[in-house]
Amino acid sequence: MTTRLKKKLDELGVNINSRKANENFCLIGTPLPPLEKSKDTGEFVPLWKQEVRDEKGRRRLHGAFTGGFSAGYFNTVGSKEGWTPSTFVSSRNDRAKKAAARPEDFMDEEDLQDLKEGRNLVDTTEQMDLLGGTQAELLGKADDDSEKDPITRTLEASLVPAPKDSVGARILKKMGWRLGQGIGPRISLKQRKLQDAMAYDATTGTKFLGRTLDIPDDDEEANKHKYAPRDTPVLVVKRKDNYHGLGYVPGMSLNESLGDNAASGSDSGPKLAGGFGLGALNDADEDDLDVYDSNPTSSRNRVAYDIAAGEDDDTVVIGRRGDKQKAPQKAAATASQYFRDGSKVLAGFVLSDEPVVEEKWFPVPEVPPGWKPDPRRVWAADKENRQQPAPPPKGLSHEEWKRSKMSADQRGVILGETPLPAAPRSVFDYMSQKDKERIKSITSGLKSGASTASGESAGPSISVTKLEPHVAQAALNGFQPFTNNPAQQARYTAYLRWQASPDGSSPPLERLRDQSIDDYNRELADYAKSASLFKPISGAMAGRFTSAAVLDLGPKINEGLHIPTQEEIAAKEAERKKEEEDKISPKEHAAKLGMYGHLTRETKPWQPAKLLCKRFGVKDPNPEPEVPEASASSSAAAAAAPSFTHPEQSFSAGTADVTAPVQSTSGPRDLNNIGLGEDDTQGQDTLTYERPSMDIFKAIFASDDEDSGDEDGKEKVDDDDDDDDPSMSIVPPPNATKETGTGFISATTILNDEPVDPETFKPKFIPREGQAKKSKDDEKSKAKKDKKDKKKKDKKSVLVSFAMDEDGGDDSLEIKQSKDRPTKKRKEQKQSEDGDDHGMWTAPAATSVAPPVEPAPPPAKADVVENATTNEAGPKGRKRAIDFM
Amino acid sequence: MAPSRGPQALARRLHITLENHKGSVNVARYSKGSANYILTGGQDRTVRLWNANSGAEIKAFAAHGYEILSITVSQDNAKFASSGGDRSVFLWDVATGVTTRRLAGHMGKIFAVDFNEDATVVASGSFDSTVRLWDLRAQTRTPIQILEEARDAVQTIHVGPTYLIAGSVDGHVRTYDLRMGELRSDLIGHPVTSVVPTQDAQTYLATSLDDHIRLMDASTGKMLNDFTGHANESYRCRACFGHGEATVICGDEHGQIWAWDLVDAHVLQPNPPPKVHNKVITWTEHHPVNDGEMITSSADGTVKVWRHADK
Repeated sequence: MTTRLKKKLDELGVNINSRKANENFCLIGTPLPPLEKSKDTGEFVPLWKQEVRDEKGRRRLHGAFTGGFSAGYFNTVGSKEGWTPSTFVSSRNDRAKKAAARPEDFMDEEDLQDLKEGRNLVDTTEQMDLLGGTQAELLGKADDDSEKDPITRTLEASLVPAPKDSVGARILKKMGWRLGQGIGPRISLKQRKLQDAMAYDATTGTKFLGRTLDIPDDDEEANKHKYAPRDTPVLVVKRKDNYHGLGYVPGMSLNESLGDNAASGSDSGPKLAGGFGLGALNDADEDDLDVYDSNPTSSRNRVAYDIAAGEDDDTVVIGRRGDKQKAPQKAAATASQYFRDGSKVLAGFVLSDEPVVEEKWFPVPEVPPGWKPDPRRVWAADKENRQQPAPPPKGLSHEEWKRSKMSADQRGVILGETPLPAAPRSVFDYMSQKDKERIKSITSGLKSGASTASGESAGPSISVTKLEPHVAQAALNGFQPFTNNPAQQARYTAYLRWQASPDGSSPPLERLRDQSIDDYNRELADYAKSASLFKPISGAMAGRFTSAAVLDLGPKINEGLHIPTQEEIAAKEAERKKEEEDKISPKEHAAKLGMYGHLTRETKPWQPAKLLCKRFGVKDPNPEPEVPEASASSSAAAAAAPSFTHPEQSFSAGTADVTAPVQSTSGPRDLNNIGLGEDDTQGQDTLTYERPSMDIFKAIFASDDEDSGDEDGKEKVDDDDDDDDPSMSIVPPPNATKETGTGFISATTILNDEPVDPETFKPKFIPREGQAKKSKDDEKSKAKKDKKDKKKKDKKSVLVSFAMDEDGGDDSLEIKQSKDRPTKKRKEQKQSEDGDDHGMWTAPAATSVAPPVEPAPPPAKADVVENATTNEAGPKGRKRAIDFM
Repeated sequence: MAPSRGPQALARRLHITLENHKGSVNVARYSKGSANYILTGGQDRTVRLWNANSGAEIKAFAAHGYEILSITVSQDNAKFASSGGDRSVFLWDVATGVTTRRLAGHMGKIFAVDFNEDATVVASGSFDSTVRLWDLRAQTRTPIQILEEARDAVQTIHVGPTYLIAGSVDGHVRTYDLRMGELRSDLIGHPVTSVVPTQDAQTYLATSLDDHIRLMDASTGKMLNDFTGHANESYRCRACFGHGEATVICGDEHGQIWAWDLVDAHVLQPNPPPKVHNKVITWTEHHPVNDGEMITSSADGTVKVWRHADK
């Protein structure tokens, strides 16, 4: 929008900034196709959305979910109804009309197309060129043609269709090119001749020997014309379809290939194996060669690496000709060579004539019998060597030469050179003799002065390093640095003493005889230095340090090999023996002395695995050690042990002691809760008593198979028992049992009431079996009655011990047995457990307590009990712990 | 045989030599029952079953990859277990000649295996100084129990009805009493190579590598008798009781078979006994029933069956 236009528009009152005014009407480039049309074909489509369609856009594949049923419609039939089978028409009458159905009748157009394509055996796309097009081919043809008679040639020409030229050839022909001519502008005869002369055979690379333009150069007529350029032969490379090396000709012997026997090789080709003939066009391959050919000329080794037969003279020997005579002999020798151990020498290898050089072995020098290693001797010898080292005969190094200060003139003089008329070198040369003398005298005077000054200090005089007396004194008391060398230490102390006494009371340190002054001075300086170094810290700091222990590096280290003396060895031996003796335990000592017995025996508990015990048929010894502590107090043991033993044990300990404290704690004492002792929750274990393991049941019940019918009932009773125990506990005892914290009745209480009467006992257990039948009230009243009765009874015999109660319980069980079969079973089980337990660990108590029981229950019952118990113990024959003891 | 009060003389007539083994024979065991067969195991990694009477080799059991050091036969003679250098106990079915189980778990070569009475448990003692008890009823791969008390290789094991005796190179004979739940270890003081208890389990015979065989009281650990004279310092030469436990027999490292009176510990005639094996006698076992037969196996690759001259 130009400024002018803007102005104009402004004048017209058009808003320049409005979109309308700014609209551009130029279209640049090609607009993109509308979005909905440009479907991206490369877009990812999930597999189940992809469709296969044929070129006509028909769906050809149908999955079961995408219209599999309509496959016929979409594929072939083309109607919604699908394909209906034709109704049966009898062909009886018009059998002749019926044409046999061909497969093509059922094919659609695509199948037919495929069929058609399949029938085209000859590839029509390639052009046929039966006659060779190039000159080389024509040349080859010429050779062939010579063999053919003219009639066949003409026949051939008439029969063979005219060759179809390629497009390029046709164009070239139109442009005037003829077969056999080269491409390019026409050239003169001279040039053509030159081309002919330079031509070479494409295949062999040698000079072309074939047909050329044979027109004499001086032909006038010929010179008038121009000629087509010479055709360039096409290099036809034979396709390599074998695995031979380059240049290898199959069937050619090495000699031939090397050109040695070219004449003999060329005259006869490889002889082919008879039998199957070779096709005319086939080359004689190596497979076709007659391997059994007996012709001596062709029996030569065809392959270079063939192993030579011994007698064959033609063995290929790569190398000098002269060796040719020897090699076969050697090869012949190898065939029959053997190693010394009889094994054959490998083919192609030759035994070496020269023996293998054996490594030289020198015997270890014998050590003389009395010899002892003494390295000092060696060192001494070494020292001697060092003291008089042979001066190494070597040329002067550059430095030395420099130091030798031999001037060039001097060297020249030595070498006998005529001195050069050299210019004077020094200032002195210009000086007069007198001046020289004077300068000399001056310099000598200076030198002598210096020498006298230094001679006083370095020469005869001893520069004693002075030490402050107090420092020396302190050093005397302080650390002694030369303890390892007593002689030096002595000198050091002497020096310190000398320095410590400035008044000269101590003699000065004397110089050793063979000590140079320098050494002496150095020694003194050393001493002074160490004295100042090792003087103890004075003053406040001194208290803070303790002097280190003397650095005594143990025994003096002997140089050289250590040869232990006899005594040392003996001492060590003794020490070791002693150590061993100390180490040995009394047990081992006893064993050593043959005192086997309790000294050598060690017994400790060992826990065999449970399964192991089972496999060995041995009772697990594990419970034994646990029992004592368990029965004493822990409630876990009570849970494990059947209920009967528990009160008995606790009360056999001491009945009298228990009663008093309990009364104080838990209100009025009742026979019901007497069994609980001090611990009110004691009996709870019996209520929460868990069913014993199946093993026990098995042990008890497995034997009596005859009343297996009862087993179910028994089990039931057991279950009931478990269920009912709490329910029983609900039953309140008549005399305020509520005060006893938990308010339950232990199994003992249940049992306690039993001596009362079989009748009274009976209702108590009936509800367990048939709880549903009985009403709660009924039960309650009965229980109350029980309690009352029991109480009555108990009042009569308060002094009855709990062991008795327990036994009484047992009695009652037996009574019950007569009355009530299922309960009996249950009780029997309980009792058997009880009996077991008795046997296991409480047997003595039970037997001891048993007699007093008898008065309480009727004597008849007691008999039953005894019988029962004996029966149980006897025939059952279960192993008890006692049996194992 | 003349009636003599002393124990019966040793069967010293060579009945048959079994020499199919290539290399040392480490163990030779009688079968159970009437003990008509012998099982031998050796360095050639095979267990061979022989007819003791005819000397015919019935079968060779080859599955071991290393030498065989121990064999135990079950009471029903239907199976046996062998062990050796390949650190697992092989359980064999005698009839089919294949291993039914291979119990792997030991960390070293297994020197000793023994069945319990009903062959439900096999105990194995190994160079790894443990005794492992394997359950043969269940198909578990782990042992029932591992006894790790030994401080050195366990060389010998005997499983009794309710106890287990293991002899170890640490010089201890350990008796694990299942019924008592107790371990009694007796120090012999020298590497124990074989322990053979008497029938009543009251005493046991312990061979140690100090040229001694000791008869120990199992209950107290006291030494009841000491049998010496033979040479046994570096190889396991298993000693055994003679017939009726009246004698003690042991082959030694010089190839001699020694016999002692159990009670007075005198060497039975001939003293010294003749050398019958070229190398160390590794195993001596008396026939469990027959009073006049015993076998010895030796490192010279032979197993010899000895019988009384009059039988």
